[in-house]
Amino acid sequence: MFDYILQLLVDISFSWVRMFIALGFSILLGLGLGIWAATSRRAEKVIIPIVDILQTLPILAFFPFVIYIIVAAIPGYMGINAAVIFLIITSMLWNIIFGVYESIKELPHEFMELAAIYGMSLKEKLSKIYIPASMPKVMSQSTLSWAIGLFYLVTSEIFSTSNETFMVTHGIGVALTQLALSGNFSEYIVGILILIVFVILTRLLFFAPLERYFNKHNMSNIQKTHAIRFVHLIKSKLKLKIPKARIPIKFAFGKKRDTYSLSNEVIIKQKKSEYANLVYAALAILFVAVIFSNKTLFSYELSILVALLASFARVWFAFAVILLISVPLTVYLIFFSKRLSAYILLFQIISSIPATIMLPLIVSLFVKMPFHSEAVAFSVYFLSGIWYIIFSILSQKAYIPQSIFEVKRLFGIKGLQAWKKIYLYAIVPGLITGAVTGIAAEWNASIVAEYFTSSGIGNGAVLTSVSIGIGKLLDVSLDNGNMVLMLLALLNFTIMIIVINRLVWKRLFNRIEDIYK
Amino acid sequence: MGLLEVKNIGYSIGPVHVIENITFTAMKNEFISIIGPSGCGKSTLLRIIAGLIKPLRGEVLYNGMVVEKPNRDISFVFQDFALLPWLTNIENVKLGLSLFDISEEEKERKAKLLFKKIGLEGFENAYPNMLSGGMKQRVGLARAIISDPKVLLMDEPFSSLDELTAEALRADVINMLRSPDIPVSLVIMVTHNVEEAVELSSKVVILSERPSHVKDIKRIGLRYPRNKRSKDFMKEVEYIYKVLTE
Repeated sequence: MFDYILQLLVDISFSWVRMFIALGFSILLGLGLGIWAATSRRAEKVIIPIVDILQTLPILAFFPFVIYIIVAAIPGYMGINAAVIFLIITSMLWNIIFGVYESIKELPHEFMELAAIYGMSLKEKLSKIYIPASMPKVMSQSTLSWAIGLFYLVTSEIFSTSNETFMVTHGIGVALTQLALSGNFSEYIVGILILIVFVILTRLLFFAPLERYFNKHNMSNIQKTHAIRFVHLIKSKLKLKIPKARIPIKFAFGKKRDTYSLSNEVIIKQKKSEYANLVYAALAILFVAVIFSNKTLFSYELSILVALLASFARVWFAFAVILLISVPLTVYLIFFSKRLSAYILLFQIISSIPATIMLPLIVSLFVKMPFHSEAVAFSVYFLSGIWYIIFSILSQKAYIPQSIFEVKRLFGIKGLQAWKKIYLYAIVPGLITGAVTGIAAEWNASIVAEYFTSSGIGNGAVLTSVSIGIGKLLDVSLDNGNMVLMLLALLNFTIMIIVINRLVWKRLFNRIEDIYK
Repeated sequence: MGLLEVKNIGYSIGPVHVIENITFTAMKNEFISIIGPSGCGKSTLLRIIAGLIKPLRGEVLYNGMVVEKPNRDISFVFQDFALLPWLTNIENVKLGLSLFDISEEEKERKAKLLFKKIGLEGFENAYPNMLSGGMKQRVGLARAIISDPKVLLMDEPFSSLDELTAEALRADVINMLRSPDIPVSLVIMVTHNVEEAVELSSKVVILSERPSHVKDIKRIGLRYPRNKRSKDFMKEVEYIYKVLTE
């Protein structure tokens, strides 16, 4: 009777092997690219802006395309696994690159002079300066990467079960989908529990010791006073445990233009951006011209725009509901609750379950409801985004000056005034960072939230399918082998994300920087 | 001909002239202090001498050869120690031998000996963060002299320390440099502390404000160890103050 547990352990081992391979590649690539960008001006100018765009793209939406290309190149088992691992790398890599880049940029200038005076070779510079300087951040970013990667892993595994040709044979996502769809709910729950245990064990047995090891030179600090040590303890705890928003604000959309910099520079920059605008305009005209020149393309474009609009409405509706819940919740936790750390622990355990693994369960639960598919899509979007926002806001608590709590008590600020004058200001920076990552996570889930069949593992029944949406459109175009439609959809999708980043988030970040500076 | 010659050095950062035409000669067995108001380019000058920065005008000659890049006869002590926090103290000291083709055991042996000499025995395998400021600078000093350099450049080596620690370390530095088994034959130190300059040096190069040039070069003939309360000592200090504030 416990055979299925053994089977689940085998399946989760397969998943974990994929994760570790992806993490290994991500760390190697992250160190290589991060060090390169931090030490060469030319590399910096290319790598940083590209990574900046890539990290805000919901790359999971590209999975149907990636799996199609890679399986065409390497057929069968190897190709599918390569596609899954490639995808996980795209979720883990960016924050590691930024971690390495920041670590090296923050190094005192003297360290480079030291290397010059003692004639260190490149190998010595790498092994004695660059890599040891980066490793603490690489490790803390890796724990974060692991959490995001798990979401990508499970989602790509689940996605694969909807199509026989592209099915992953062993994996926790596949196994749990099979259990849930065959009605074995108790076994499904056991599977989820095993997953949680694996997540916790990985944190305790893999990440925690490594993090301690690479920080050992900071641990034995006898110089610092108790108060400072306490602050450090809290800071390091928050850093370790709260998956803080993936994008550091200052890097999220490139650096803000320095208002005080020499006027010459500003003019050059303006000229450059005028030039860039011209290029964008030319590309846009070209794009429209191509679309209008071809009837099929034109009809594709129309259906893509409608699909994007429909998914946009779902994603942002789910985001609105997330705000309605997470804002009061986090304000309560930050300003009133005495058991914040207990709640954080609880949330961490719940959030370690990738939202998409609930999909089979949600599908089964909602199957008899009216608007069943819309309800499924909403639930998956909601669960995918909410934790990013909650954790991002909670991680802000460390940055709220203690005096604000004291001011609130001294002057007895309460009710609406407290909301307007204190609470919102305290949580907004975390909220914005969380929103960017949370909404990206929602978009990522779109390929399973909107359309899902069981043809990979069973009778081919359509389990959930919204009437129209970008996730569905991508899935269906893969099933039909319609690459033109898929590529056009991805192009539109990418443009939409970049436009929203520039028009909404970048402006918000700039305003917030002005206020909170 | 001096051991090290600074000839007509000039340097600018963007449109700002930092250093204008600085010239002085350093002989064997001298301890030279470079003193001047803050922002006058003292540290930049020291980095030019070390070969870390290329001067825009003029040149630095060591043994008659132009210094164009760091060289293994010239070593450096940093103001903020510049110890790599992730390496143990002894590994930091061994960095000073990067340019030398000697075995790991030999490096280890030399470094251990030095730890004994600078009074840090037992701290070899600890990390720099465990040490006080004074101890950190001792490690920095050990790293600078482990390669038996001929010239030691020091960039405000005592200014990150509290006054008592600095005083003790200064006394140790004098003793160490005068001991026969340390082959350092020239020290050039940047400082903004007049008493420190008088206490340690045989020659003080006094710089003006930016763009800095040499205002005066003052020889100090007092015998070591110098008594800071003696009349002669005070006279030298007063003289330098006068030149600085002129």
